[in-house]
Amino acid sequence: MLGYTLKRLLTLIPTLLVASILIFLFVHLIPGDPASILLGDSATPEEIASLSAHMGLDRPLWQQYLVWFKNVLHGDFGQSIFFKTPVLEVIADGAETSICLALMTMFWIVLIGIPVGIVSASFHGSWVDQITSGGAMLLASIPTFWLGLYLILIFSVGLGWFPSSGFPSISDEGGLSNLRYLILPSLTLAAPNAALIVRLVRASMLDVSREDHVRTARAKGLHPARVSIKHVFRNALIAVAAAFGFTFAALVSEAVVTETVFSLPGIGRLVVQSILRRDYPVIQGVILLIVLLYLVINLLVDLAYARLDPRVSLQ
Amino acid sequence: MTLRTTIAAVFRGRKLAALGAVWLCIITVAAIGAQFIAPFDPLEIDPIARLSEPGLPYLFGTDHFGRDTFSRAVYGARMALIIGIGSVLVALICGGLIGLLSAYFSTLGHFLMRIIDVLMAFPALLLALVLMTLLERSVINTVIVIGIVYATTTARIFFGMTLKLKNEVFIDAARCSGAGHGSILFRHILPNLWSPLLVQASFIFAFAQLQAAALDFLGLGLPPEVASWGNMLAEEKIYITRAPWLLMFPGALIILSVFSMNLVGDAMRDSIDPRFKNDIAGI
Amino acid sequence: MALLEINNLSIAVASQGQLLPVVTDCSFSVAAHETLGVVGESGCGKSLTALAIMGLLEGSQVNITSGSIVFDGRDLLQLRPAQRRAIMGNQMAMVFQEPMTSLNPVYRIGEQITEVLQQHRKITHRESRQRALELLDLVKIPHPQDRIDSYPHQLSGGQRQRVMIAIAMACEPALLIADEPTTALDVTVQKEVLDLMLDLQTRTGTSIILISHDLGVIAETCDEVAVMYRGRIIEKATTASLFANMAHPYTRGLLASIPTIDTDNDWLQAIPGRVPGIDEKVNGCPFHPRCAHTETPCTQTAPRLIDTHPHHAVRCHFAGEI
Ligand SMILES: Nc1ncnc2c1ncn2[C@@H]1O[C@H](COP(=O)(O)OP(=O)(O)OP(=O)(O)O)[C@@H](O)[C@H]1O
Ligand SMILES: [Mg+2]
Repeated sequence: MLGYTLKRLLTLIPTLLVASILIFLFVHLIPGDPASILLGDSATPEEIASLSAHMGLDRPLWQQYLVWFKNVLHGDFGQSIFFKTPVLEVIADGAETSICLALMTMFWIVLIGIPVGIVSASFHGSWVDQITSGGAMLLASIPTFWLGLYLILIFSVGLGWFPSSGFPSISDEGGLSNLRYLILPSLTLAAPNAALIVRLVRASMLDVSREDHVRTARAKGLHPARVSIKHVFRNALIAVAAAFGFTFAALVSEAVVTETVFSLPGIGRLVVQSILRRDYPVIQGVILLIVLLYLVINLLVDLAYARLDPRVSLQ
Repeated sequence: MTLRTTIAAVFRGRKLAALGAVWLCIITVAAIGAQFIAPFDPLEIDPIARLSEPGLPYLFGTDHFGRDTFSRAVYGARMALIIGIGSVLVALICGGLIGLLSAYFSTLGHFLMRIIDVLMAFPALLLALVLMTLLERSVINTVIVIGIVYATTTARIFFGMTLKLKNEVFIDAARCSGAGHGSILFRHILPNLWSPLLVQASFIFAFAQLQAAALDFLGLGLPPEVASWGNMLAEEKIYITRAPWLLMFPGALIILSVFSMNLVGDAMRDSIDPRFKNDIAGI
Repeated sequence: MALLEINNLSIAVASQGQLLPVVTDCSFSVAAHETLGVVGESGCGKSLTALAIMGLLEGSQVNITSGSIVFDGRDLLQLRPAQRRAIMGNQMAMVFQEPMTSLNPVYRIGEQITEVLQQHRKITHRESRQRALELLDLVKIPHPQDRIDSYPHQLSGGQRQRVMIAIAMACEPALLIADEPTTALDVTVQKEVLDLMLDLQTRTGTSIILISHDLGVIAETCDEVAVMYRGRIIEKATTASLFANMAHPYTRGLLASIPTIDTDNDWLQAIPGRVPGIDEKVNGCPFHPRCAHTETPCTQTAPRLIDTHPHHAVRCHFAGEI
């Protein structure tokens, strides 16, 4: 297990290397010169040139890449052009919001998505199934930002139950009760993803329920609910876990939109704003970290997979 | 099997999916005949009727410039169709070719699939955002970017399906009877993948609508003057408290269209070769 | 009184808005401590009959359309689901045709055996594990102590079928339904598994319904035999009478198809043609298109089951004549 993990970690290196080159290239192909953006409209060409030289922007692209990558390996992602502070600090500032949002979202997804999926599959073909699985598909067809805007309209502006935007740190005044700022955002973000989980749990459970061993379980005289959970769902979980990597990628995409709708000081909004501000170092840093996170999560998924399915052995 | 019996088999006992198909037909008609259906020019401004409520003559009301929401929505259908069909074509042609060739020529495949794997580590919207910033905001660029984003998944799916077919007996038979690579790929393997391809296309069509709307919302999608459902939402979002109905119409149109496409895709998925069912990336 | 009595059982499959009959008007009974053999070609409805008796058709496309299944004096079809479940796995158990896939891949076999014990007996965890070890020993799995914590994929097909038998026998059922328990196994293992079941039967006095398409196996093991063709019982007799007065041309064909050392007769040679699909309608005797003795009445009216000897009934217009 440990050996396998180490080996998998080693195979991450080439992937990350390719990813870093792609990110660097993408970002540097973006039109617009950071030096002139930084100095504003009133700057003279000489000022721009000297700042470019200072930032190393006049060197060949591959040299810039090597310098950047070497620094990244030392944990230095460079300076944000906009904030004038280290990129890692800028990212760390957004991390709390994004992590809290992600955890709350996962909470809804697991709390709602999995039970509804089980119910839907257990009553396959009945009106319960049609409503839950059809409803899930409808939910997944709603643009995230549209849902967010109407949740704000109804629950913040209309009923005044929840704040409509922002997120003060939970270490600030208010403590954990500040999490109420994240209730609407996390529900918005959870909606399409929980819907995906409902569909996934349902489809995998239907696949499993056609397997022979489920008939054996029923022949034992077990209660149908017990057959559903202990036998069908437990096997379906293997396929659900395998798809979790994709769920994560979908979650990140939607988080970018959600954080923008609710003006949350998180990493998702940081990406969008950095792109609009042409803040190269921040874009590169954030995307590289997200890719790394994606790879690590997939590794964890594989480890979990092996735990869930005794037929899989890690080597 | 004729087209008619196939369609009947797909929609038998699935009333909702059939309704979805009807809705998609309506959208198509609206898209083609937009200039005959829309009562106003989508760009025509009526300064005294800004943010007016649904009624007459403005069926769905007007936006903050005083443009007719209904006419813009009708032209939006045209945009939705262009975005959907365009990105499906880009995704299927690029992704399909990469997947097909990678599975068939294993050395090349090894290299290409590694790249695809790396690209799949980028969340779809982030990839689209970065690519959009490289390019001008235009309809064609939006189509290309969304198509490329879904080409990665498509390539993976085709890779898997082609691998399954590659070792089938009938492929060996074709090879033994002297068929060349091109003939095996396009005359023997590809025809077996048409129906999963069609199912995948319907899901990509649906995802592309949501993706395009999100790009519009973030200000990095279609040019602002284009009448698309996403742009209508993006431009009017700050007026939601003053005119709550304004975002209702374009939003409902997106939801209905995406939902319909998902329903149709789901119905079709149940009638394809069960071996490929789990390869499809859909809802 | 018989332990199990099936009266006029009919089963149909719902397909595209139609009900296609797959089992028609089946009646037979199983006495306590006895073995009934059910034979017939693939697809003739043996498994569906067995699943109907067990109560495993619920929730599928397949439905019982008429008839009754009386077990131990109670009509199973009239019971509430909870009452039915109290019998399943307890007084009545089943071993399936597919040993490779009939065990849940994610649980250890010990867990899968104790599960049925804990469902039907008031028993502690430790006692049920002890009982599981005994059962594994009973079904002749070597080193039960080590094997009890194996996962199904670590066992061979024969061992898995033994585990299935252990699960079925765990609560000492009055009736064991064995649906082609050996078809999927190696020839060498087939005999061992059959012998094991017969051995368990002598110890516990269980009645067995043994489904097979091998008349040879049936001849060796059963007290009574029912021969099925296209969902109907076409001959029913005690084993001795069946082999002495074999009357139906189909049964004779089956007998001729038992492979022997010197002749390599096989299935296809013995009975020409194929079983018509369930959606094809055949007028008259369902067997007449493949029968060598077809005459006019065969193509017009379906024969009824008639007694030709004591304890011997045949569904053929010319029973006793040919
Ligand atoms: N779930 C189902 N849906 C539709 N048709 C079914 C279903 N199960 C069985 N059938 C049909 O019912 C008929 C009888 O099937 P059954 O499984 O009882 O045959 P069998 O006698 O056990 O055959 P075998 O020797 O192959 O096990 C077959 O023609 C089969 O195609
Ligand atoms: Mg069978």
